[in-house]
Amino acid sequence: MNWIQVLLIASIVVLLVYLLRSRRNAQSKAWVKVGYVLFVMAAIYAVVRPDDTTVVANWLGVDRGADLMEYALVIAFLFTTLSAYMRFKDLELKYAQLARAIALEGARAPEDG
Amino acid sequence: MFGINTGDTSPDRYHDVWLVVPAFNEASVIAEVIADVRTVFEHVVCVDDGSRDDTGERALAAGAHLVRHPVNLGQGAAIQTGVEYARSRPGAAVFVTFDADGQHRVKDVVRMIDRLVAENLDIVVGTRFGESAPQQMPRLRRILFPLIAKLSPASRKLGLTDAHNGLRVFNKTVADGLNLTMNGMSHASEFIAVVAEHNWRIAEEPVEILYTDYSMAKGQPLINGINIVFDGLLRGRMRK
Repeated sequence: MNWIQVLLIASIVVLLVYLLRSRRNAQSKAWVKVGYVLFVMAAIYAVVRPDDTTVVANWLGVDRGADLMEYALVIAFLFTTLSAYMRFKDLELKYAQLARAIALEGARAPEDG
Repeated sequence: MFGINTGDTSPDRYHDVWLVVPAFNEASVIAEVIADVRTVFEHVVCVDDGSRDDTGERALAAGAHLVRHPVNLGQGAAIQTGVEYARSRPGAAVFVTFDADGQHRVKDVVRMIDRLVAENLDIVVGTRFGESAPQQMPRLRRILFPLIAKLSPASRKLGLTDAHNGLRVFNKTVADGLNLTMNGMSHASEFIAVVAEHNWRIAEEPVEILYTDYSMAKGQPLINGINIVFDGLLRGRMRK
């Protein structure tokens, strides 16, 4: 197995575990921000010196830097999709609780109707 | 038609029973269904799940208590709302979930309540696969529903044959402990998972489902089974 394959599979598993266990506390939000800043800096570097990505890619057993970028993008996409899905589920639940409170407040018994 | 002995099913006998009827756009049948259950059960709460028609008003006129979601949330959310309303009523001890489309039979409910009391159970759920496979049921469903029941770890553990039956009878312990978070159709498996987690005593009772054209048209498409399995995998990882 190539280094890149090990890395990709490991990062998929780590992301999944992180996402499913995360309770979205202030600390993990801060780490997401740190990660985002690092990602932006890496992106700028890759734009300025595109050939360097190929060097990194070769270390990992990938031929071209562009391919490495694509793999990273796929991982990032999976992470974003799943985390958005989980967040929507959370919101949906809160929304249901809010609607339920309103519904119970306005309950009508047949005698008053 | 229901062959009930009126001598022992007077409203008095079931004064501690509350029926929860979640309804979404059921105006054409709701009054009839409510009137039918109220021949035996005094207390019915209809949860109008944000219907666009006058389902709620008709249920109220037919003698049900009415709780109305301001927006459509899904059947799971409606059941949770109805149970929360019913469990706060003074004297409520037995709770029933009953579909609004007229596919359940009142005499099955009576039998399930008697069994809940006689066998000292926490919950009795209906099964369509009790004695023999129901002839009226479309063939694909006849094959798929028992398969889905076997796929769910909770219903396998409890030995259930039909995890997606809308007819359930349960006591105050279950009503108080119930906290359904799956708003849509995945609540049926969630319900069973909650029962398994709390080690509540459960039994299945064979019931008959009246597959009318109306209830078939309102039924969920089978592809929704994929959502149910997926939500089951995510369950427990979500914030409660």
